[in-house]
Amino acid sequence: MKRSRPWPNERSTAESCSAGRTPASIPTWFVGAMALLFSALREIFDESAYSRFLARHEMRSCPDAYAVFLREQENLKARRAKCC
Amino acid sequence: MKKPILILIWSSVAMLGALALGTIALHRGEQINAMWLVVAAFCAYALGYRFYSKFVSAKVLALDARRATPAERLEDGRDFVPTNKWVVFGHHFAAIAGPGPLVGPVLAAQFGYLPGTLYILAGAVFAGCVQDFVILLFSVRRDGKSLTEMARDEIGIVGGFVAYVAVISIIVILLGAGALIVVNALKSSPWGVFTIAMTMPIAVLMGFYLRHLRPGKVLEVSVLGFILVMFAIWGGQWVSQTPAVAPWFTLTASTLAIVIIIYGFFASALPVWLLLAPRDYLSTFVKLGTIGLLAVGIIVLRPTLHMPPLTRFIDGSGPIFAGSIFPFAFITIACGAISGFHSLISSGTTPKLIRREPETRMVGYGAMMAESMVAIMAVIAACVLQPGTYFAINSPAGVVGLSPEAASATISSWGFPVSAAGMHALAQAVGEQTLFNRTGGAPAFAVGMAHIFSSSLGGQAVMAIWYHFAIMFEALFILTVLDAGTRVGRFMVQDALGHIWKPLGRTSWYPSILATSALIVAAWGSFLWQGVKDPLGGINSLWPLFGICNQLLATVALCVATTIIVKMGKARYSAVTLVPLSWLVAVTFTASWHKMFDPNPRVGFLAHARSLASSAAPSHEISRLVFNDRLDAVVTGALVCMVALILLESTFLWMRVLSGGMQARVREAPFVATRFAAEEQG
Repeated sequence: MKRSRPWPNERSTAESCSAGRTPASIPTWFVGAMALLFSALREIFDESAYSRFLARHEMRSCPDAYAVFLREQENLKARRAKCC
Repeated sequence: MKKPILILIWSSVAMLGALALGTIALHRGEQINAMWLVVAAFCAYALGYRFYSKFVSAKVLALDARRATPAERLEDGRDFVPTNKWVVFGHHFAAIAGPGPLVGPVLAAQFGYLPGTLYILAGAVFAGCVQDFVILLFSVRRDGKSLTEMARDEIGIVGGFVAYVAVISIIVILLGAGALIVVNALKSSPWGVFTIAMTMPIAVLMGFYLRHLRPGKVLEVSVLGFILVMFAIWGGQWVSQTPAVAPWFTLTASTLAIVIIIYGFFASALPVWLLLAPRDYLSTFVKLGTIGLLAVGIIVLRPTLHMPPLTRFIDGSGPIFAGSIFPFAFITIACGAISGFHSLISSGTTPKLIRREPETRMVGYGAMMAESMVAIMAVIAACVLQPGTYFAINSPAGVVGLSPEAASATISSWGFPVSAAGMHALAQAVGEQTLFNRTGGAPAFAVGMAHIFSSSLGGQAVMAIWYHFAIMFEALFILTVLDAGTRVGRFMVQDALGHIWKPLGRTSWYPSILATSALIVAAWGSFLWQGVKDPLGGINSLWPLFGICNQLLATVALCVATTIIVKMGKARYSAVTLVPLSWLVAVTFTASWHKMFDPNPRVGFLAHARSLASSAAPSHEISRLVFNDRLDAVVTGALVCMVALILLESTFLWMRVLSGGMQARVREAPFVATRFAAEEQG
């Protein structure tokens, strides 16, 4: 039976080749879930905030850039209570 | 999915939940498996999320998928960033998960596993999750405003002022109670003290790595830090067993309290981010990992609960804290069912990350369900212990007696057999000198967790490692809360003092920094010192006081929420927040009354002060204890009066709006259509 269009989670051959690091045996949903988990961890641990900072200031990651980022974060974080 | 199949699925979930709850509630005289609690929790949360939160979002809040959130409208890549809902969920959960849902349920287990479990489930579904959800949504609709700003805008000046004072009070009392838990967990424990001391050089090393070797690679360095901490735990065993070194790390409660107070001052006043920021990351990493590990451990090992569903202490004669099941069980559990502190997080960072308005349901309601599940795990960790062991660890010497033999005899006479030899063997197994009188909840939780893990992972041989891992996790966690809380408190005081004299408000002016840091540290330090010197263990006074503060803050949050619902013209649905509000008012006001005026000296502050004054020869020590009791009574009374004020102000406002005497006008940001809806359709 022919399908008129691909299923939503179906990737083209080109996409599959470009994502060469993912072995074919690993289900797509699992890869997606892991990617999401990793994104959440990057947000919780401020890695995403650092990436956004670099993009905003058009800087490359280096010790000086990170020092500026830390100073910016210091003021934000110092006002953020930790929950009980 | 077809409707009949859905009906079948949800009916099955409801029946399974009813079966699990029935098993928990009705089994008497025989032990049950912890999985019944897990199943009951999953079913209650699933039903609550699917039906109740959907009702709240559709009928009460009318979530609008077309409305742009502040993250979209004010996007700046720094504070306001539209973020994937699962990522915000993780971020929000990491922010709200604290020591409260671990400690409170462990302490409340003195009533048995049933009251705590039922309140955690019902409280979360109908109160805690609702509070977090509605406050998050209302903050999203007000450009991410804080709870105190919303209270001032929607209720009035009194509302704003009371919210501000409640926040400061809860921070101070939380820090005092938290520090006391750390002191009680680490006193006379060279292993624990060494492990926690080692987290400082490890954090500095992490800071150096982050700053100079791999800038920004926080996850990577957290894994490295975690491995080093595991080595520190292993090294702690050597320290505790080496007579030449062990005395350096064997500290009394008073010494530990002084060290923590000095630490709190420097952490607040000095720019020590090389230490604090990496340790914060390390603490979060360990916290998330441990919660995940405990969840897996409980599901895989399915331990049996040895605690009975109800104990004789529901009459108020409990050794851990005095007071009858109503209201004290509900004050003690606090964060696992409803936490006022969450309203600060829900109106802090999270609303600035929400991408679409309907996602507030999953983030606000859903994350609180996850927090509540952590509380259920804490109940399980406490109740897998033999009741005699649980009471031996958690009861203060002032109640059960100083010597192991006296304590064992007292606890056994309550019908919970325990022997001094058995407790000594357990203390040896976990690498401690003694486990008697280790009040505060943390050691009992650690023994429970070690008991669960050692059942499969490494057996009894590594029980000591698991115990000290749990102690390290809790102490690290609380110390992070302590330094962050002290700084937040300092900023709040500086903001307020800046209105009186501008230089005091400058956060870079050192005299102001030192003075306000000293003020905040002195405030929580005095509660800590009071707890350390309290013959009843301190937790008896401080934890209920903290619970009252926390629930009073939740009362303020629900007042704000109800006011906004009434102003939105949805008064017919106001029971959604009004019922939990009424419950909290009943609980907190009754508890406050008991804590101030109860004639039983173990419950009432004033009665305790009177009994001390009349029974002992006057001395400096007695005068101080009497003063502390009176101070606690005044603090409780002042908080209750202020919350009564905000309640009265809110009630008058609701009546004026409902009678047509006042035009209802909510202070929402104007409607702007979201571009995300069009993008998704396109």
